[in-house]
Amino acid sequence: MERLELKHIFSWLHDLLVSTGLGEPWLSVVTYLMLGAMMFGALSVIALFLVWWERKISAHVQQRFGPMRNGWHGWYQTIMDAIKLLQKEDVRVTNRDKFVFFWAPVICFVAAFLAYIVIPFGDGLIVADFNIGILYIMAVTTFTIISLLMAGWGSNNKYALLGGMRSAAQMVSYEIPMVASILVVIVYSGSLSMVDIVESQSGMIFNWFIFKLPFGPIAFITYIIAATAEANRVPFDLPEAEHELVAGFNIEYSGMKFAMFFLAEFVNMFTVSAIAVTLFFGGWNGWLLPSWLWFLGKTLLVVLLLMLFRWSYPRLRVDQLMEFAWKFLVPLTFANLLVGAAFKYLGWYW
Amino acid sequence: MGDLRTEEFVVNMGPVHPSTHGVCRLMLTMNGEQIVDAEPVIGYLHRAIEKICENRTYPQCIPMMDRFEYVTAMSTNELFCLATERLAEVEVPERAEYIRVIMLELNRIASHLIFYGTTAMDCGALTPFLWGLRERELIIDLFEETCGQRLTYNYFRIGGVANDLPIDFVPKCRSALDVIEGKMSDYTGILNNNPIWLARLKGIGTAEADHALAWGVTGPVLRACGVAHDLRKDDPYSIYDRFDFEVPIAQEGDCYARYLVRLEEIRQSIKIVRQALDGLPEGETRTKIKANFKPPAGEIYTRIENSRGEMGIYIQSNGDKKPLRVKLRGGSYNQLQFLPEIVRGKGYLIADLVAIFATFDVILPEVDR
Amino acid sequence: MGVLKSFVELIRGLGIAGKHLGRHAITIQYPEEKWTMPEKSRGIVVLLSDKETGELNCTACQLCMRACPTAAIDIDAPRGEDKKRYLARFEVDHMLCCFCGLCVEACNFCAIEMSTEYEFSTLNKSDLIWDKDKLQEMGRNVDYVDTRKKKEPKTPPEADAATKPAEAKPDVAPASTGDVNPETKAAEAKDATSTDTPSGDTGKEEDK
Repeated sequence: MERLELKHIFSWLHDLLVSTGLGEPWLSVVTYLMLGAMMFGALSVIALFLVWWERKISAHVQQRFGPMRNGWHGWYQTIMDAIKLLQKEDVRVTNRDKFVFFWAPVICFVAAFLAYIVIPFGDGLIVADFNIGILYIMAVTTFTIISLLMAGWGSNNKYALLGGMRSAAQMVSYEIPMVASILVVIVYSGSLSMVDIVESQSGMIFNWFIFKLPFGPIAFITYIIAATAEANRVPFDLPEAEHELVAGFNIEYSGMKFAMFFLAEFVNMFTVSAIAVTLFFGGWNGWLLPSWLWFLGKTLLVVLLLMLFRWSYPRLRVDQLMEFAWKFLVPLTFANLLVGAAFKYLGWYW
Repeated sequence: MGDLRTEEFVVNMGPVHPSTHGVCRLMLTMNGEQIVDAEPVIGYLHRAIEKICENRTYPQCIPMMDRFEYVTAMSTNELFCLATERLAEVEVPERAEYIRVIMLELNRIASHLIFYGTTAMDCGALTPFLWGLRERELIIDLFEETCGQRLTYNYFRIGGVANDLPIDFVPKCRSALDVIEGKMSDYTGILNNNPIWLARLKGIGTAEADHALAWGVTGPVLRACGVAHDLRKDDPYSIYDRFDFEVPIAQEGDCYARYLVRLEEIRQSIKIVRQALDGLPEGETRTKIKANFKPPAGEIYTRIENSRGEMGIYIQSNGDKKPLRVKLRGGSYNQLQFLPEIVRGKGYLIADLVAIFATFDVILPEVDR
Repeated sequence: MGVLKSFVELIRGLGIAGKHLGRHAITIQYPEEKWTMPEKSRGIVVLLSDKETGELNCTACQLCMRACPTAAIDIDAPRGEDKKRYLARFEVDHMLCCFCGLCVEACNFCAIEMSTEYEFSTLNKSDLIWDKDKLQEMGRNVDYVDTRKKKEPKTPPEADAATKPAEAKPDVAPASTGDVNPETKAAEAKDATSTDTPSGDTGKEEDK
């Protein structure tokens, strides 16, 4: 079977448009736009699938059915929900900050999708292989903080404001342990490029970073904790904190704006899981099956882990959350980084 | 930044809020995330049950009592029937007393299962809520088979119970108890030693025994402060003096202690129900009272131990078929008034308040009546 | 080692939640599957008809109306020409009804019953006030044990001697057949056999 690569799709699209008689520079612009739309569509489908999956998993943990009506086990329930949300009235608060209130969900949505430029879905299935790939991801996902803060401020609501403030404090704090855990991987791969990181783990299963004892598993655990916080999920879902702040930053949003926040949350969850797979589970590396299937499968397993967190743990308190980040995670990740670097220097690794 | 101006602000938590368990409004004065003061504003669920009862005959009051505290409607039935029986000196047959105890204790278990679920949910863990309700469903099914309703039972009557137990009640009840006892390991396993759960509850909302007594706090909240006050032991009503059970207490007085006390009470209640099932005698289930029931003139105050504390009723009768005055006392009321005392000035966060409110297990219909 | 212990506990919690993943759901898909309601379940209020004559058992004594704590039952029972009360109007307002079952307890004539039916929502509030015919129609398929002391209007009082209604029925039936036609006779014979079987166990006759 010929390897599926994004550049093949690109050239196929290009040829298709050439046959319509379109000339440069519009040819490239339209091709890229179409490619972008394809990525956007694929990710939206993934996000909708994750919403459905989360509902099913929560239902089964709680011995319920979950969605069952639309299609086999309600598989298109979330699509119908999205259509419903599109049709809903966009309720706006009178005393909102108009500009901020409007742009917050847009920024949140866009920021969630930006990371996918550098995530390798498979061998060759990457939009652009930046040599600073992981740094780029860290940079663009930070936009989410701004959007949540904007939503909190723009809503002119005390609960929303508290939620926005919480999200800013939380996500800035957890950025540090997250980066420090990623750095351990980078010490070994020697490159910030996502493709290089995956290729450095090719070959045997023990080349996956998580099996690099003793620092590999610790880096993964600290990463997954920080990533849960970054994705605003239980036990770190304080910006939303349903039982304290009702809905937190998105309390005043309705209809499609709410759906944008909601989908962005699930896209973010997929992002952090995809990064976890790229960094610790050898990315697309696998046997027999096509590489993108391996990647998707591994990512969904990590997503499953995140979902199980949500349905088993209580929520931390806001001060405990900060304490945990600064007094426990940050020292631990830096110590782990030192150990990792020392092992690398001494050559005690495979 | 010396001239940075900060000010306290007021957050209205409720009347519609996911964790106020009904329609309670807490006016929180906040300093950022910290709570400076909390003031409960009650009355959103006021239905004038006491006044309604004054316009109903005695048997007609029992369905009204169901609505007084609908999570443990059996105990409200017991409260009213016990008071009226004492007032009119009506004897209750032996079998009816046993059935009553079985129902009361099953209802206590059901109520504590709701407590377990809602407390976990208020602290962010959604799954235990469904698990708690899952086992509660077994008890509710038993109630439905016995009396026909799932929530507002209207089962007890003045002088007994409305009807006898269904034929297969005893084996079904035993198996339900076994299931609940078996599931307790799941309950404790997922929460009890979970570090997040401990961080959320331990040392939060600590109440001193003297302070709690001064505010008339009763029930598991008081017992978690180290006061072994349980009317089933201290002022035995019905036939509670025949059963062997312990009153679980804890010394810390914090949220975690209250949680543990309630979980232990589930085990003790299971024990009581088992004993009652063993000793269930045959015989009549209801003393016949006159159709036009009129207790003698007089007044009475009766109290029982509900899953939320001491529940009392004062009935004044002028010999008519309707009570002249009915006054109810609910444990939740005192606990809700005690809440600001615990929260004020301690620098607790909203999350702590939610945990304290949840472990107080306040139920608003009992507060507002 | 506190950290390690916490970590182990977190994993254990995850395991307990994960162990439920494969379990069977305990809920049901409501409109397709329905729960079988227990026999005693208190649903909508219905009026029962006599198994033999098909007429209402109600004697217009208004005991249920007096027992009702929410005044959901409204009865109009004027005296007829023979100075006996007859049922002119019987309305149950299901908006007021609190499903306490006191009316059933008050009734001495097996005339009112709470069926296990619970689906009676309507789009119109006034549809919840049910009149005599509607209540009778809803009560037709409700099985019940006739505990009445047989006091048929046109039979001599010998039937009153019957104490156990389930056994008494075949004896009483011929006495009351003086003025009914053969078809109902056949029907009542069938009725008598069919009702005997379910009434064998503890039915609802335990209410004193």
